[in-house]
Amino acid sequence: MAKKKKNGAEASGTGPSIVLTGAASFIGSNLLKSFEEDKSIKHVVAVDVFKPPFPLKKTKFYKLDLTQPTTDADLAQILKDEQCDTFVHLALLTNPSRSSSYAHELEAVGTMYVISACEEARVRKLVLGSSTLVYGATPRNPNYLTEDMPLNGARARFIRDKVAAEKEFSDFAKRNPQTVVSILRPGMVLGPTVRNFWTKYFSRPVVPTMLGYDPLIQCVHETDVLDAYAKVIREDHPGAWNIVGKGVMPLSTSLGLHGKVSLPLPGPLLRAAFKAGWIAGVAEMPDSMLDYLRFLWVADGEKAEKKMGFVPKYTTRETLQSFMGMQRLRAIHLAE
Amino acid sequence: MATESGTRKRKRALGPEALPSDGELAEMDAADIASLRSDIDRRLSAMEARVEDGMGSLEKRVSESLRQTRGGDSEAVREEITRALEDFEKRALKDLRESRSRGDKQRAGLMERVVEVAGGLSELASPDAWKATWSRFSLRGKSETVDDYGMDPIIAQRFKPIFDFLYYDYWRVEVRGIKNVPTDGSGLLVSNHSGALPWDGSMIKIAVMNEQPRAREVRFLVEDFAYHFPFLGSLMMRIGGVRADPINAIRLLRHGELVCVFPEGVKGLGKLYKQRYRLQRFGRGGFVRICLDTKAPMIPVSIVGAEEIHPMIARGSWVADALGVPYLPITPTFPWLGLLGLIPLPSKWTITFAEPIDFSKYSESERKNRILVNKLSQQVRGQIQGMILEQLKERRSVWFG
Repeated sequence: MAKKKKNGAEASGTGPSIVLTGAASFIGSNLLKSFEEDKSIKHVVAVDVFKPPFPLKKTKFYKLDLTQPTTDADLAQILKDEQCDTFVHLALLTNPSRSSSYAHELEAVGTMYVISACEEARVRKLVLGSSTLVYGATPRNPNYLTEDMPLNGARARFIRDKVAAEKEFSDFAKRNPQTVVSILRPGMVLGPTVRNFWTKYFSRPVVPTMLGYDPLIQCVHETDVLDAYAKVIREDHPGAWNIVGKGVMPLSTSLGLHGKVSLPLPGPLLRAAFKAGWIAGVAEMPDSMLDYLRFLWVADGEKAEKKMGFVPKYTTRETLQSFMGMQRLRAIHLAE
Repeated sequence: MATESGTRKRKRALGPEALPSDGELAEMDAADIASLRSDIDRRLSAMEARVEDGMGSLEKRVSESLRQTRGGDSEAVREEITRALEDFEKRALKDLRESRSRGDKQRAGLMERVVEVAGGLSELASPDAWKATWSRFSLRGKSETVDDYGMDPIIAQRFKPIFDFLYYDYWRVEVRGIKNVPTDGSGLLVSNHSGALPWDGSMIKIAVMNEQPRAREVRFLVEDFAYHFPFLGSLMMRIGGVRADPINAIRLLRHGELVCVFPEGVKGLGKLYKQRYRLQRFGRGGFVRICLDTKAPMIPVSIVGAEEIHPMIARGSWVADALGVPYLPITPTFPWLGLLGLIPLPSKWTITFAEPIDFSKYSESERKNRILVNKLSQQVRGQIQGMILEQLKERRSVWFG
């Protein structure tokens, strides 16, 4: 409490005071770094099971596991003590987890605890870090998914819990119309430093694809995603927002352009390979996610551009180039 | 003179750079030339011996490392081979540098070739070179960028001659009322559908491209069945097809594109020969709602001739169920002649574009008026049916128009 006052006196700005869960994640830690440097932000509280691996000056860190049954009360206490007005919930898994029960506890149940705590503490703004994966890759998708489309991603276990988390947030928004609830849905995030299951997929020397299908893919650059988060944290933009780069590219072209060899396998064989690979721990995603290599799941970024004023700086092609360029430097040990 | 040549000889002994020029050579006496020749011969034979030696050691190293690796790791062999090749290359280059003298041109050429082959060999040994070649190969005949709906201009261009042949020579398409197709801004082309295989959509696209002064691109909507069919689906996407979904149509129209729809849908494609030119139900009027939403003008289109290209006698439904397709066309030629039976008949086609119907006069609330939507849908259907009947009355022959 005392520390908070000291920090408050130090900071000159009038920006938001922020609680961040999932602070050690890629988005979380990068946002924390930018908040540390930003004078206008008076107060930051980071919550995660791991401490972010860099020195925290302004930020107060709480070690808290969202899967514990007492989390809601603990979190409510933290919110009460710290008097923060903005809650950024980023504690969702980036990669499919082999332990689906842990994923369920963290994403679906953990988000429920977060919502209970926020309802108790009456925070002013809530931000959820979701993904365009929640729309699902289905044969009935239009070419461009808008934010009001139903969330059909629940077929894959990994996405079902994200859909549940989104539902908690949208239900909360309906119950509390005075609270600003923003849900950000970035597309396939690629870039020089981010690591997720897509970067793993594209880093394979030989990339398996589905024979006969060549879907359009859409990427968003990591810095654009961070920009979008900073924007919804600083300004009020209630609602769901697709955060995607402009332009699309066929999967085969994106691989060919960057000197990757694709290995088209017939659907059942690819499924079997990924099933076996997932059990053996060498596949980056379970076979239930393979529809994302078969059907379209391109999102429409027009709403974010027109209403939020978020214009991505990188197109899909430039994002891929930036990612693959770094991959090449890594291959010859010129980059970490 | 003699003393001069003597100093030259001494200079020559210092190194290969000191060899005489053509003019000097002419001045030299026979003894000088003989000694020079013997000098060159000696050096060449020494070099030859070194190259042979190098080749021998290279061969030995490669065979030895290959022998070692039956069961060892291939990475080490590759490294060993590359190192051996590099050593050889280095030595060869050194020799080459030494042999840059006038009498050695031929041998230098040979050496260069040897170095080239060595370089090629080391490239063959590296998987990266193979990968680069393969990925270049995979991009052959493709554009590096596609538009928002996945159309690849290069692939579309490659298929254009086939469609042009069908358009000009095979079906001898006659186009009427092309001035009714808007030269800019959006427009929804609504047409009758037929012919077992979706040839009519591609012909409307080609008609607008070839006949309209601005050669506009028409985006045709493709049924789910074809859009998600392996290979065919992605090909359709590359040549400009968009999945038939009202959301896609609305987005295209909002961006000022021309969109072609067939409200009869699969029911139209699967029309039997005896049902030809009898329009089926126009879906649920979704195409009218699209126009009410976007305020895009609607252009009714009639195609006469397309309904005879695949005279379908029956629909094999249980086979179709087994194959997972909506219907199996049974025509006098298909499936009896196999794939040959899928060749369409060369009827004479007439495509008529009617005057655009203005939809900007309807208000937002009328969009939800389902009775109005159905009424408008019936109106358009009646108009297209009328255009078809008029055209049929005029027509004397299926084949010659």
